[in-house]
Amino acid sequence: MSDLHLNFGAQPYERPGDDDAREARHQVLATLLGAFADGELPPETASQIDAHLLGCARCRREVELHASVRARLSREPLQPVSAAFRERIMHELAHKQAPRSVPAAGIVVLTPWWRLTPVHIVSAALIAVAASVVGVQRLRAPERSAAAPAAVVNPSSVPLLTSVLADYRRATAGDLPGRARDLDAVRAAVPFPVQPMRGDGARLLAAWSTDLAGEPAAVLAYRWHDQLVLEYLVAEPVFFRHPSLRAPIAAGDVVTARNGAQGMLAWAAPESGVILVGDVPMTELAALRLGATAR
Amino acid sequence: MPDSASSIDEQHARFQALVLPHLDRLLRFAQRRTSSTGDAEDAVQDTCVKAWLSFGDLRDADKARPWLYRILRSVLSDVGEKAERRRQLVDITRLEQAHEELIGGDTDVVFSEVAARLDGEMLARALSLIPEDFATAVELHDIDGFKYHEIAEIAGIPIGTVMSRISRGRRLLAGTIVANRRAWGLGTSDAVRPGARTRLGGERSTP
Repeated sequence: MSDLHLNFGAQPYERPGDDDAREARHQVLATLLGAFADGELPPETASQIDAHLLGCARCRREVELHASVRARLSREPLQPVSAAFRERIMHELAHKQAPRSVPAAGIVVLTPWWRLTPVHIVSAALIAVAASVVGVQRLRAPERSAAAPAAVVNPSSVPLLTSVLADYRRATAGDLPGRARDLDAVRAAVPFPVQPMRGDGARLLAAWSTDLAGEPAAVLAYRWHDQLVLEYLVAEPVFFRHPSLRAPIAAGDVVTARNGAQGMLAWAAPESGVILVGDVPMTELAALRLGATAR
Repeated sequence: MPDSASSIDEQHARFQALVLPHLDRLLRFAQRRTSSTGDAEDAVQDTCVKAWLSFGDLRDADKARPWLYRILRSVLSDVGEKAERRRQLVDITRLEQAHEELIGGDTDVVFSEVAARLDGEMLARALSLIPEDFATAVELHDIDGFKYHEIAEIAGIPIGTVMSRISRGRRLLAGTIVANRRAWGLGTSDAVRPGARTRLGGERSTP
């Protein structure tokens, strides 16, 4: 996990007693404090949280709470299985055929999207279409399916999505701001990994970094079925800031949004959040996303 | 795939060496998600059979344990453990409010002391009262000792989602324990003094 660049101190625009701003910062922190207590954050992020904890009793209590819960759970005793049960399993296995090479149920093999059958593509498309039709209704599906369930949000209610839409319209109004060979420069400009989607039908046209309400973002432009789709990548704390994104993502969903002609599809990636935007049907974004999850 | 008797024997031996040491943990995980030990044993047995049949796909022996948990979760899902286990989910808002009171210093609960009094049965009950996805992430880390990236593999979710599920799961679990402390006989000591404003885990709240 790459280092995140965070600022948990009081903001210059924050007035004393600005409870909303303070609460918003704590909401962002709330998703990180468990990982901090578990030693799962990169050193730079952990150092920043350390510094924040010096002046924040509430967050210190939160960290102590995590430690207390973890300590209690870790003491759960482990009962050895009975010899009879072990024998029963060995007997069962002795009568089974030799292992086969194809995966059994429950073992997920990420298949590159360009190798997926039309059934997979159509399944993903159906979920996306259904989500766009039923409004805020959430569609549940097993986590191991190729297509995650989708939650629909109003983009105007989420500042990050509003910023992405504005940037998308600005960037696509003229020549694209970058070129594909600028990818290394983009990687150097943002504090999270940037890996383009690969596969037949999705070609990287350009890459550039941008600013979304003061936060750095990477933008990758693709030609997808002869249409332009932009992929915005933002840092985890930015992506998880708003509850309308945080809640469905935490439940394992992807998020869809539409504003006029523009469709948006958002999901959490390792160490970042991803938002696809394009003047394309949601089905196209869902199909393109399958490539992203397989990269 | 080797098909001679000796090769199969070797496969059996290797499978036993990799899988059998984890039976007790698999059974404990299954027991928390089934209504009886018998059902849990059936689920673990099915897991072992599926693991054996797909043993050739396990390329990295170091990943045997998360691989087994992944199969077990699939088996449990197939038998509908979620619906059974989550029949009595409590009000999430109430749990989050209890957690907020703890963190905000608005209650007089020394959580670490309350948690230390929990017996295994109460803990299992508390875990069963929070949403399955959160409980699973917390249990896999805190009880079964998996790292975040392993939990991401087991559950098939991004590591950021693991992070948020563990964070929120622990908060909900703490809220559950605090909200039920009287019913579970945990509220009779000095650690719980309603109406007063003291500390959580040894420190007093500051605004």
